[in-house]
Amino acid sequence: MFEIERSANGNVHLHGRLDAAEVEKARGVFDQVAESCVIDFAGLNYISSAGLGLLFATQKRLVDAGGALTLVNLNPHIREIFQIAGFDNIFEIE
Amino acid sequence: MKASRAGFRRELGSLDGVFRFLGEFADAVGVDERTALCIDLVVEELFTNMVKYNDGGGDQIVVGLERIGDRLHIELVDNDVEPFDPAGVPDPAVAAGIADRRPGGLGLHLVRSMVDDLHYEYEPETRQMRVSVTKVLEN
Repeated sequence: MFEIERSANGNVHLHGRLDAAEVEKARGVFDQVAESCVIDFAGLNYISSAGLGLLFATQKRLVDAGGALTLVNLNPHIREIFQIAGFDNIFEIE
Repeated sequence: MKASRAGFRRELGSLDGVFRFLGEFADAVGVDERTALCIDLVVEELFTNMVKYNDGGGDQIVVGLERIGDRLHIELVDNDVEPFDPAGVPDPAVAAGIADRRPGGLGLHLVRSMVDDLHYEYEPETRQMRVSVTKVLEN
């Protein structure tokens, strides 16, 4: 089960498991992100390459436009996935 | 239960069932939560690759699991497909910054990073692909 919501301040909140079957639901929100934005991972406990690919494409688009994503509250497992993927070099992670 | 095997329809919508199957096995053989999440990721990446890239495959992809001592063996079997060796896919440039980074290749890179062995077999006569991985358990 995966849920995604955008709060009034523009932050994007992820919940549950972002796998290949759920990535289109996430894409619908990420495609609407047009400027720098915080992605809150506090409720997310699983992500695969499908979700990573969506984050990468969004970051690429924003950086080209002068913005960037900031990722916060990653759990240790997801943090490890990001390190293996080399996403430490691509995202600001707090 | 030390071994389990099940077939799943060749579609991304099967992933929920795949994860239930993996979770039940992980509980039955006693692996920790972190390892269980790694197993989910490894199987999802291999399963979705078969769904997306094995043109004209059979109706089902079979997932087999077995624990022998401190080793977990995972096998995915696909039928009526062209040969494709995942071990031959180059790693992405993970040290690159975003300007030089290209999408793609991440799933197999994650798989290779998380398992202790990745093995591929292809039978031309039956057009059957068999991808096997081994993970040494820490507990």
